[in-house]
Order: sequence, then C-alpha cells, then structure tokens
Amino acid sequence: MERNEVSQNPTPLLSVKDIYKSFGLNAVLKGISLDVMPGEVLALIGGNGAGKSTLMKIIMGLYTYDGGELSIQGEPVVLNRTSDALERGIYMVPQEPLLFPNMTVEENILIGFRQSKAELHRELLATMKEAGWDLDLSRKASSLSIAEQQLVEILRGLLRHAQLLILDEPTSALTFDEVKSLFRCVSDLRSKGIGIIYITHRLAEVFEIATHVAIMRDGVITIQGPISGFVREDLVKGLLPPDSDTEAAQKERSTEVRPVDYTAAPVLELKDFSGYGFSGINMKVYPGEILGVAGVVGAGRTEMATTIFGMDKVLGGQVLLNGQDITGKKTRQVIQAGLNYVPEDRHLNGLFKICDVAANTTSANLFSAHMGRFLLDHRYEWKVTQGYIEKFRTKVTGQDQLAGSLSGGNQQKIVIGRSLSTSPGIVILDEPTRGIDAAARGDVYHIIHQLREQGVSVLLISSDMEEMVELADRVVVMYQGRLNAEFRQDSINQDNLTAAAFGILEKEGVGA
Amino acid sequence: MSQNPAKPKNEVSLRRWTKGPNFRWNLFLVALLAAECIVFGIANPKFLSLTRIFTSANSDLPIWYISIFVTFVMITGGIDIQSCAIVGLTSIIIGVAWQDFGLNIWIAALLAILVAAACGALSGFFVAYCGVQAMVVTLGGSFLYSGLGLLVSTLSSTEAYKGISGFPDSFKALTKIKLFGVVPLQILIFLVMLGIAYLLLHRTKYGRKVFLVGVNPSAAEYSGVNSRRVVMSTYILSALAASITGVVMTSQLGTAKADLGGNFTMTIITACVLGGTLSTGGKGSAIGTALAAVSITLLRFGMPLCFNVNKQYLDIPIGMLLVVVVVGRAIASNPMVVAKVAKRFPAAKKAAG
Amino acid sequence: MSVEKKILKARETTSFLFLVALFLIVGIINPSFLTPSNISACFNTSVVYTLIAVGMAFAIFVGEIDVSVGSNMGLVAAVVGTMIQNGSNWLVAFLVGILIGVIVGLVNGWGVAVMKVPSLIFTLGTNGILRGLMYLQVGVEQVNQLPKAFKDIASMTLIGSFTIYYCCAVVLTIIIHYLLTNTRRGRYFIAVGDNVGGAELVGIPATRTKVLAYVICGVLSAVAGIIFCSRIGIVTSLSGNGYEMKAVAACVLGGISLSGGVGSVIGAGIGAVIMASISYLLVFMGFSSNYDNAITGVILITIVVVDALMQRRAAVRNRHARLAARTLAAVSEKEGEQ
Repeated sequence: MERNEVSQNPTPLLSVKDIYKSFGLNAVLKGISLDVMPGEVLALIGGNGAGKSTLMKIIMGLYTYDGGELSIQGEPVVLNRTSDALERGIYMVPQEPLLFPNMTVEENILIGFRQSKAELHRELLATMKEAGWDLDLSRKASSLSIAEQQLVEILRGLLRHAQLLILDEPTSALTFDEVKSLFRCVSDLRSKGIGIIYITHRLAEVFEIATHVAIMRDGVITIQGPISGFVREDLVKGLLPPDSDTEAAQKERSTEVRPVDYTAAPVLELKDFSGYGFSGINMKVYPGEILGVAGVVGAGRTEMATTIFGMDKVLGGQVLLNGQDITGKKTRQVIQAGLNYVPEDRHLNGLFKICDVAANTTSANLFSAHMGRFLLDHRYEWKVTQGYIEKFRTKVTGQDQLAGSLSGGNQQKIVIGRSLSTSPGIVILDEPTRGIDAAARGDVYHIIHQLREQGVSVLLISSDMEEMVELADRVVVMYQGRLNAEFRQDSINQDNLTAAAFGILEKEGVGA
Repeated sequence: MSQNPAKPKNEVSLRRWTKGPNFRWNLFLVALLAAECIVFGIANPKFLSLTRIFTSANSDLPIWYISIFVTFVMITGGIDIQSCAIVGLTSIIIGVAWQDFGLNIWIAALLAILVAAACGALSGFFVAYCGVQAMVVTLGGSFLYSGLGLLVSTLSSTEAYKGISGFPDSFKALTKIKLFGVVPLQILIFLVMLGIAYLLLHRTKYGRKVFLVGVNPSAAEYSGVNSRRVVMSTYILSALAASITGVVMTSQLGTAKADLGGNFTMTIITACVLGGTLSTGGKGSAIGTALAAVSITLLRFGMPLCFNVNKQYLDIPIGMLLVVVVVGRAIASNPMVVAKVAKRFPAAKKAAG
Repeated sequence: MSVEKKILKARETTSFLFLVALFLIVGIINPSFLTPSNISACFNTSVVYTLIAVGMAFAIFVGEIDVSVGSNMGLVAAVVGTMIQNGSNWLVAFLVGILIGVIVGLVNGWGVAVMKVPSLIFTLGTNGILRGLMYLQVGVEQVNQLPKAFKDIASMTLIGSFTIYYCCAVVLTIIIHYLLTNTRRGRYFIAVGDNVGGAELVGIPATRTKVLAYVICGVLSAVAGIIFCSRIGIVTSLSGNGYEMKAVAACVLGGISLSGGVGSVIGAGIGAVIMASISYLLVFMGFSSNYDNAITGVILITIVVVDALMQRRAAVRNRHARLAARTLAAVSEKEGEQ
C-alpha cells in the first residue's frame, strides 16, 4: 500500500506501519498501514473476517502483533495491556458497550480514576456541558438505551482525555434519531481535534460523517484516502475481490446443474413474518433450491432463522413448511416437521465440545425411534456417524474423538451432519463457512451441492458475497430487518449484492 | 479407527468399555481402592474383613446412595446440597405416618418417597425454569425440608429428640437380611441403584440428554432437547435417591428422626468430584462416583482403625482430597502448564503419546 | 423506569422495611415483644452473623462464594480461646486469630481467582480441612475455661442496651460501606462482579480484587470467631457449623444478588439481623422454634426466585428492545429520506 499524503502534516495521533498478525497458520493482517491525524474521522470499512476487529484489538493492547510498528503521536510504542493504550489516550467504544449494568451512569464513567470524586464530578459536568449532552447521571446503566450506553462509553473516553476514539459499528443498534445525535457528537469531537476511527458497515454513513476512508479486505487495505476522492461505486469496488474473472466461471459451473422448478409448491413459505430484529418478511423456497439470504451482520437474518426454528417469539405472520403451519412451534416439533438449522455461532449453539463426534452427530436425532426407544442404539449411532464422517470426509481419529479437539472445518462438518441426520426437507445454513480454511470451505460447498442434487432445499445465510455467487440459485437481500432486493441468475453478482446489503440498491419485486 | 463397517458391534462395545466414559480415571480409582486395602491391610489385618467393611458402610450409606445421583445433577452443571435434609424428612414422614396416622409401614415409606420426589421437583423447577442458581435454591431447600421435617415431627406424640421407634419386624428386616450370610441387603440395594444409574446415564437416550445439556445447554436446545425438563428431572432423581436412603437408614436404625441425614453434604460432593465429575458440568460417570464413594468410606473406616486417627479429624483428609483433586485438574488443564511440561519433557510426552 | 427498577434501586431499604414490618407484626400479635430490651436483643444476638455476612458479601460481590467461613470462624474461636484460656496475651491471641483469617483468605483466593477452581467446590474443600484442624485444636473437649474478664466484655453495653460488640460491628460495617462506595478501589469489588470483561477493559485487576475479597472475608470471619468466643464462652468442635449457610441466607435477605455486582454490606448486616431474630420472634409469636428452618427456607427461596425472574425479564426485554431498534431504524431512515 502506498503511503498517503498525510506524512508531511504534523505528527499523526496514531500511526500503524506494516502490521502483520496471524493466528496459527491463518494470516489475518497482511501488512496494514494507517495514519490518523487530529480532527480526522477515518471510516474503516470491511466485510466480516477482513481483520478490522483484530487491528483494533492490537491498537487497544489486547493482542500483540507479529511484525510492524505502532506509534502514538510520533513515538513508537509497545502496548502490552489495555491500560497502556488508555494511558496514551486511546479509547475504544466497543460494539456491545461493556458497562456495569448495576451501577449508575456516574459510577460507570468515573470508575478507575485516581482523582477525587468531587473533582471528577465537576470535570464530568463540564465535559457534558461542553459537548451539550444531557444524561441523568443517577440512572442505572441497565436502564439505558444502546445509544445512551454509547454516550457513556464516549464520556469515559473523553474524561480520560482520549485523543483517539475508536467507535466500533456504533450505529448498528441505533434508531434514526439516535444516529443523528451520535453524528452531531462525532462532529463536535472532530472540531476539538480528536481523532476518530469509525468502523461501519453502512456506506451511506461514510459520506455523511467521515473525512477519510480506508477499506479492508482479507487483511489488506484496498482503498485509502480522503473521502472527497471517492464515490460509492469506488468503495463497493474496494470491498470486492480483485479477480472478478473466476467469478463468472464459478457462476457458469453452478448453472450447469438441474434447474429449479419454480412452478412447484414451495417447501418453505414465509408470509409477512415478523419477530424481534426483522419484520414483514415474505419469501418462498422451492424444492431443491439454494436460496441465499445476503446482508451484513445485524441485518436480522439470524434472528429470522432462529425465530422460524422456535427459539424466539413470533410477532406476526406465518411460516408454512410444505403447506403445514409451523409458526411458533417448538424446536423439536420444527425439526420433526422437516426443517433443521445449522447455527451461526457453532461454539455457542452448535458444538458439544467435550462430547465425542458420535454424540454430536446424533444429538438432534435423540427423539426419533431410530436411536432406540429408551436405550441408546449404539449400532445405529455408529452407522449414522460413520456415514457422515465418510460422506463429508471429516478428519477424525475416531468416533470417540472429542469435538472440541477438531479443526474448525471439521467441527462445522459435524454440526452440518447433525442437522442432516434428522433428514430434513430444508436446511437453514447460517454462515456455514465462517472461520474455516479453504479446503474445508470447498468440502462444505460440495455438501451443499450434494444436498441440492438430492432435492433438499437450502436457505443459505451468508455475509460472504462470493459464496452467494457461487452457490445460490436465487438471492434475497436483507437490510435492517427487511428484505430489500431479490436477484436471479445473471443479476447475482457481487456488485449488486454488496450494494443491496449496504442499503444502496433497492430492487422491486421482493418476495417472489 | 477402522473404516470397515462390517464389524461395528465389536468395535462399538470395545470402544464403550475402554475409551468410554471416564475409563482411565476409573482405573485410577480402582488403583486407589487397591492401595487403600493394601496400606490399611498391612497396618492392621483386621481391616481386611468384609463384615467389618460392610458394617462401616452402613453408616456411610447416604454418601453411597445419594452421590451417584447427585452426579446427574452435577453433570447438568448444577449442585444439590439439600439431599441430607430430604433423608431426614423421609425418615420422619415414615415414622409419623406409621405411628400417628396408622398407615401400613410400606405405604408410609411410599408416601415419604413421593413427598421427597415432590421436594426435588420443586427445587428442580426453580433451578430449571426460573433460572436461579442451583446452589441457592438447594441451600434454601435444605433449610425448608429440614424445617418441614421438624414440623412433621411435632405432629407426633413422641418427643422429637427421642425419635419414633418400634417398627414392625418386616420393615426392620429390610436391613437385617444378609445374602450368603455376608452381603447385607443395603449393599445389594446400592448395587441395584448403581446399575440403574449406570444404565440411565450411559446407556439411555435420557442419559445422553443429561450430558448434552451439561456440556452446552444452548446447543442442546438447538438439537431440540428440552433442556429445562432434563435439568429438573435430575433434581427429582437425586431427591428419590435421598428418600431411598431415608427409608433404608430408618429401617437400619429402627428409629425415625428428622435429623437422620446428618451433614454429609461435603462428603457427597467430594465423592462426585473425586469420581471424575466436572464441577462445571458435562462430564462424570456413575461408576466413577461409586468407586470414589467406596474409597472415601474405606478411608473413613481405615484411618481410625489402623492409625488411631480420631473419627472427627477425617474431614481433613477428605477436604484435602477434594482440594487436591480440583486444583490438580485445574493445573493439568491449564494450557500454559501443558505447554511448559511438553517443552521440558518432550521425550516423556512422546513416550506417553 | 418501572416498578422493578425502583425495587432494585432500594434493595437494602426493602430489607430494612421488611425487618421493621417483622417487628411490628410480632408486636401486634404479642405486644410484650415491643420493649427496648427485646428489640436490642435481636440486634445483639446477630453480631457474629453480621460480621460473617459482611465478609461473605465481599465474596458474593465479586461473583464467587465462600462456604468455609463457618469453619474458619470456629477454628479462630478455638485457637484464640485456647490461647486466652492458657493465659496468653490477649492482643497476641487476637493477632494470631486474624492471621489465620488472612491465610485462609489467601488460600481460598488463590484457588478460586488464580487457579480458577469453581468457588463452591474449592471452599467446600477448605471448609473440610478447617473443620478437621478445629477438631485437632479442640478435640473431644471444650474450650470453656475462659477468664471472666474476657467473657464480660460481651455483656458490656455502649448505647442503650446495645452491646459494645454490636456497636463495633455496626461502626465497622458503616466504615466498610463508606470505603466501598466512596473510594476508587472500593468500587472495584462491585465492578468485577458486575462485569468482569468491562472491568478489565477499564484497567481493573480482576484477579487481585478477587483475592482481596477472600482475604477480607477471612479476616471478618476471624473477628467473628473472636467475638463468638467471648460471647458464648464455650467453643466445641462443632462451633460455627452451618454458619456459612446462614451467612449466605443473610446476604440474600439483605438484597445481595448471588450473581455478583449488586448489593451493599449494610444490606448484609440487616439480613443478618433478620436471620438471627427469626427464632427469637417465633417464640413471641407463639410458634415453637421448630418453624425456624422452614420459614428461613421459604423466605430465602421466595426472594431468590422473585429476584431471578425479575432479572431475567429485564434481560429479555433489553434484548428485544435492541433487536426492535434495528428494524425501527430501517423504517425511520426510509421516512427520513423521503
């Protein structure tokens, strides 16, 4: 990456030079260089797994880096723990504010300071007055809205005389008015000469608030510079992989397969389906179809899937599975009706780490008579497990290996196997290739193609646009809890999907 | 692992036995038992008498019976410290129902068992469905059920401290029968309970659910397992075990008392933890707990007999055992320690691996 | 925001009102109860519980538990009692007692905070060891030949009919409360229990804070042991048995949440008074003391269940409000664009 023009200006607040970081064999940052000047709002954009959060954790002193250099206000520094970064005037407002829920606002802000309480109180009031914010200091933090919690976090940073604030997707849970007030606050801070790194998924915000922009993709920065030099299309291009040729080839391959019969009765149909985090969803999934649901993290896709799966309350609408109404049914009934779900977070919701491979594979099958009426049928369990190990080419030392000791890709195969063991007519795969290596990714794609061949429908939720292009027969895009676009065949390309996922493009005729 | 599906049965059963639940730890416990027998046997040959050991076991029955079912609770990630109170409650209900309400002794026992199951269900409900920490609920339960025991005892015409006695011979015979003239019926009951616990935990679908819920309750929900019901059921099981203990001990002593359970809580938890149950849930075995319970009894029996240790001091070795086991496990599972050991003894690692 | 929040806000106030209501109800049923000496007796008998509960509160604040306090107290009572009985200097005996408390606290803190063993299991183990050591100290005999002067301190009164011990305990509790709420480090205890991740992010040393909480708990149990020895005058090998459970119950009654991060030591003190007076009050209400445990159990379970349900409802509501905000954002943004 070419060094930009800021080097001749006064010393940057933060200068990141050629930072490398890998976890094991997985290189996450491949030579990142960034500068943040006083009074600059640097918008940092990137998809999931681009390395943004790793970079921020390095800046906060939570991670060490393998190579490169960090300097703060011109001085090279080594940050070993959070307090080092705090002392040097860096403060991060995490995406999920880490407040103390049972303390008051004031206690939350003032904790960890050395000065006297009265002095701090005065300073806090002065800071708030200066910023023009009004916040009841005696309220419990648990009663604050997310926007207010973020204000508290920002105040914490200001009171520490932070020179550089990192805001990690601050608007992801805010209402429109709250976003407005946050933007006002960011402008105020900027005018005071505070540098801000603003991480976001929403391209529209970038032009509204940022002075500079940097786009990260796969551990490198693809675009960097003052915002005035770019238009939206440039940013979208920066988010896409450079080799768009392979894309066409991939698309070709997936169109070779048997076409989907769109006149058949849909396997899964959502009618005006609403719940917490999404609303008014209409969609149909046809037999043997791979329907992609694209969008950014927090668009409400996972919430939609888990609500179908009986994990959360339905607020309105209907879910029909093969014409049968399964709205608001319990998970077990949904599974028995022929739908299964591969969770997004396999560590939290998918895997039984200290159980063996066999127990993991058959865990969703425990209420079927195949596994025995009362006593466990170990032979059946062995057969099923062995079947999936061979079919998916899962690398295990044996069925008794603990699932936690497998690699990410093999763990994912186990979780997929678990969901398929109930022989569902439709599977919802939520980010099936997140955090797994390329080889395993290929295997998972192979599994998905196999399913399609067998006539099993797949609802594929993924933030990886390449994956969508390669796999999906049809893609709907979710943006802030609603479907805002649908693409078929040729129009499924990364430009369209990315634009729609970031809320730039809307396409009529949503809902098929 | 062989890829040949032609002989799954042998392979499955072999795997279940050798690499199955807790196998290596169980071997260690067997070794511990053997070591106890050898050391105590050498120190005092009187130790090596089955009759004596069985007699000493009688006073440790709560540990044996209850701990194998408290293991279920701990596998789900909970804890149960109310069992001792339930033992007393069962006992006094039997006494009062028989003496003061004139029920048949066996019906009285059945009634007591049902009440105990209800107590377990109540605590289990609060833990599973209301999300209260198991520790606090069962602490409250231990107050409540021992208090109920006292209240039930006031219904009786007999003074509480005396206890209710004079039960029919048929009831007392429950604990007087000796199979082959050596093995008391209590031991047989223990073996039956152990068999049930083993089958339930390691051979049935229910047991599999108990493990899954303990390892990852959320993932269990995503597999369609009703985590809450499973959690609640484990408390009912442990209360049932406590009530059977109450029946057997009442028969054995010939007296029904509200404070029959004594305070074995620590010993029961120690037996579970020593038996390989992970205190954070997800791991444990009925056999392991049983072996641990037996070895604790041998310790409690052997130390006073062979080394003249006062019985009251026995809390020290048992407490030490608990602390050493949990700290040892914490050290062994600490990744830094593992890495250091691997670095310092690469040869040993290779040999072992 | 809602009734729930107000209740949460005034947790120890609620406990205090509960205590007052308890006294009044007993007074209505049996007017002879409402004399200064009866009421002060309720407070005076609670002194040992108060100290242990305040110590336990520290362990609970940081999100852990310490069930070794009863045996710790018993051991200290036995050691100090034996030393004074044998004519040692009182001050030396007290210091030895407190040193034992510090060591026990350090060991517990090491096991729980450094080795990361679940606190209930670890302290259950140390509980057994301490109980055994206490048998070693006392044996089958009793410590009962304490000098009269030592025992007499217990009956000295300071304000009205409140004993000097109770007054000291109250003053100590208030000082601790002040330190906890008004000093930088004092706040760390609550912060660690409230949100460990957040605490570490603002630079609070979580491990050290937990160890310190256990040490304070150990020291307060030791002080309780010394007072126990002087008040009761007899230490048997069973002294202090079961006190840990009563202390936990006192904390819960005083509005301290067992998930950590909520409550105050004042609450623990009030809870201790409730715990200690229940059997006393039952006598005045015409019930036998047989009801003692059952009523304690009912109160304890009711409080924790209600507390847990309210907390869970609040958590679910927060989550839903957050998710709803995301979809609302979409709606209002579209409106904004138009």
